[in-house]
Amino acid sequence: MIRVTLPYHLRTLAGTGAEVTVDVDGPVTRASVLDALETAYPMLRGTIRDHDTKERRPFLRFFVCGEDVSLASPEDPLPEEIASGREPFMVIGAIAGG
Amino acid sequence: MHASSAPREPPLKDRMKPAPPERELSREEVARYSRHLLLPEVGQGGQKALKAASVLIVGAGGLGSPAAMYLAAAGVGKIGIADADVVDLTNLQRQLLHATTDIGRPKTDSARDTIGGINPHVIVRPIESRLDSGNALEILSPYDVIIDGSDNFPTRYLLNDACVILGKPNIYGSVFRFEGQVSVFYPKAGGPCYRCLYPAPPPPGLVPSCAEGGVLGVLPGIIGSLQALEAIKIVIGRGDALTGKLLLFDALGTKFRELTLKKDPSCPACGDNPTIRTLIDYEDFCGVPHGTGGTGDQAEITVEELKRRLDGGEEIFLLDVREPLEYGICNIGGHLIPPGELAMRITELDPAREIVVYCKTGIRSARAIETLRQKGFQKLRNLTGGIDAWADRIDHTMARY
Ligand SMILES: [Zn+2]
Repeated sequence: MIRVTLPYHLRTLAGTGAEVTVDVDGPVTRASVLDALETAYPMLRGTIRDHDTKERRPFLRFFVCGEDVSLASPEDPLPEEIASGREPFMVIGAIAGG
Repeated sequence: MHASSAPREPPLKDRMKPAPPERELSREEVARYSRHLLLPEVGQGGQKALKAASVLIVGAGGLGSPAAMYLAAAGVGKIGIADADVVDLTNLQRQLLHATTDIGRPKTDSARDTIGGINPHVIVRPIESRLDSGNALEILSPYDVIIDGSDNFPTRYLLNDACVILGKPNIYGSVFRFEGQVSVFYPKAGGPCYRCLYPAPPPPGLVPSCAEGGVLGVLPGIIGSLQALEAIKIVIGRGDALTGKLLLFDALGTKFRELTLKKDPSCPACGDNPTIRTLIDYEDFCGVPHGTGGTGDQAEITVEELKRRLDGGEEIFLLDVREPLEYGICNIGGHLIPPGELAMRITELDPAREIVVYCKTGIRSARAIETLRQKGFQKLRNLTGGIDAWADRIDHTMARY
């Protein structure tokens, strides 16, 4: 079980709370986690990654165990903490309120 | 999990030694700042550095209020406050610089009064003009430290780029609903900038503003106080600033989480080959139409025209794309479909009819119109200024939020 935290606008879209869980068969990578997320919540397709290019949207970042992995390869394996659900895969979004 | 400590500039206090006579502390100041002077980490040197320092706070709102008040109390010598707005009743739930009797006054006026009341030694520079790419460098350049307490993406990118160009630390804070983010963007000291983190803003209307999504009042109190803390540490050259780190705060869970940020070598502002050497048009960059809450290329309708046509008995379908909570506060009888449900509930709408779409200010409705257009709807009008404009200009008895 993999935990994924979402920014507010994606929670509203997916109709979920701040954190969702997904299951991944095979290697746990950013791409496989996001694939699983989009399968479970099809309305999120195109909101985190571009529909066609699968590039990350520039106002979102991915964090794993406190480290920014946004610029790493989407096929890189994620650490055991993520695969085991001990740490969430964090999708962080820009906010601007003051 | 901590960032490797970034190379640091010498603290401002070292660059300012020896303190000129006017920086010496008077007897009254020694007593006023005695709890600081008792801290070896601050002491006379730190307190004099604070007195010699100048901090510009952009936005006299939820973040700027606690930041300005704590920095004034701490004895920062000069505080600039930039804000072009007047105090509104809805500000008072969180913007402690302003009191009920200040409603309708320029925020910079009430900010100056409040700061003067806290500490008359502080020189306050109220800046009532709206920051733009024409005046930002001039407004920022006299200050040592910039605090970003603004409430919109164009100003945040403007401040970032101006701070990178001028080599100044940008103490960033932002809030939304129950969540806050804090960082120190200071490429000159080796850290990343705002664009390294978010190279581009979300499309207008995708991420709601506090005016649309709400914000718990005490949250900007916490985040703005953290911004004041970072400013003080940078001025006195003590402790670890949040350079290269993003601090997240979740008010509902009372949880802090520190994330490590990396400098992006390809960052257009602070990377190896920067392309942003002068300020650009930030409203264009953020896709925000100049001066209005709507979008430029789609059909707009004013509240006056809508009222006239409704009074004339015309069959116009009103679509309200706010949240049910907002609808409960005030509505003009529109069919409510919250933005998150629009795609699923599109069958409730008749493409043959003229549909006027509205939200609070016209931003979410502009986005809803984009969604509907993609589904083949054509007879769409966006209510300029949203239900806010209706309350302003048509129905003064309507509840506002
Ligand atoms: Zn940068």
